[in-house]
Amino acid sequence: MKNALDEKILEKANLWIKANHKVALVTVIKTWGSSPRQVGSKMIVNEKSEFAGSISGGCVETSVIDECLQLIKDNKPFKKIELKVTNENAWDVGLACGGEITIYLEQIN
Amino acid sequence: MKKKLLEHIISKKNNKEEFAIITNISTGESFIFEKNKNIDKNFEKYSDEINNYLNNKQNGIIENTDIFIDTYLRPIKVIIVGAVHITQYLLDYIKNLNFEIYIIDPRDYFASEKRFPNINIINKWPIEAFEEIKTDSSTALIALTHDPKIDDSALKHALKNKFFYIGALGSKKTHENRCQRLKEAGYKEEEIGSIHAPIGIKLGGKSAPEIALSITAQLVLESNKL
Repeated sequence: MKNALDEKILEKANLWIKANHKVALVTVIKTWGSSPRQVGSKMIVNEKSEFAGSISGGCVETSVIDECLQLIKDNKPFKKIELKVTNENAWDVGLACGGEITIYLEQIN
Repeated sequence: MKKKLLEHIISKKNNKEEFAIITNISTGESFIFEKNKNIDKNFEKYSDEINNYLNNKQNGIIENTDIFIDTYLRPIKVIIVGAVHITQYLLDYIKNLNFEIYIIDPRDYFASEKRFPNINIINKWPIEAFEEIKTDSSTALIALTHDPKIDDSALKHALKNKFFYIGALGSKKTHENRCQRLKEAGYKEEEIGSIHAPIGIKLGGKSAPEIALSITAQLVLESNKL
């Protein structure tokens, strides 16, 4: 059963927007190896560093929140990021499970 | 993503529609795709691939492109007959999953809004209630009253409409009697055998939350076979 879990992330994003928050939406668009969350998994981040949802079950969320804050600060519409365990320079926390994911960040505006 | 698109997606989700969000990750533009409806000109050439993703219930990037497809499927309908104690615990578990849930119970003191807030409650006998709910082979029935007057007609409807999951609460003895009644009503042994009864995966517990957990596990197991 696909879509077995409906975390209501988009609904939450809409509530944040109505409360005048700036919101970045992160979606997992590609995975390799044993990455913990499926393609389509979502997380939202607002300008106050509050977040909801998950894209890796905790492995890379901290770094992704920073990326989202930067996206909001620079007022950029979107950004694609590949997270690889081997790329230690770019990410101080990798996917402990050995997987790789590509994520897509976009501002909702 | 535009705010308007976000609101549009949410309303489609609320209406239990099936659709996909298509995003060009190199330009940032995205739009809603629906089967048999006009497609944005910029994405026209991908319509076959997009349909494939929807039919296969998959998300992903179309090979050698920057086109990401995020599918939204119609949630599976779960119909619970009996607004009983176990039902309250069952809802605690299954409301976190993407199910469209209905409770049927003709007894209004059981099926009250107070006992079951924010759930579709149909305060009618199953035969009348099923006139209001469209059901098919991707619908599940969980019969929990163990009262033949209420459960039997719901079970018959579910068997006739080939629900993918039919579970019925009751002891082995209760189920034997139930099988006998269904047999006398003309149902084949094979059909009767498809009913999960006693309901749930054997966890060994007898309390209401434990039974609810065992039903949830069985429902999820069968849903994942779809």
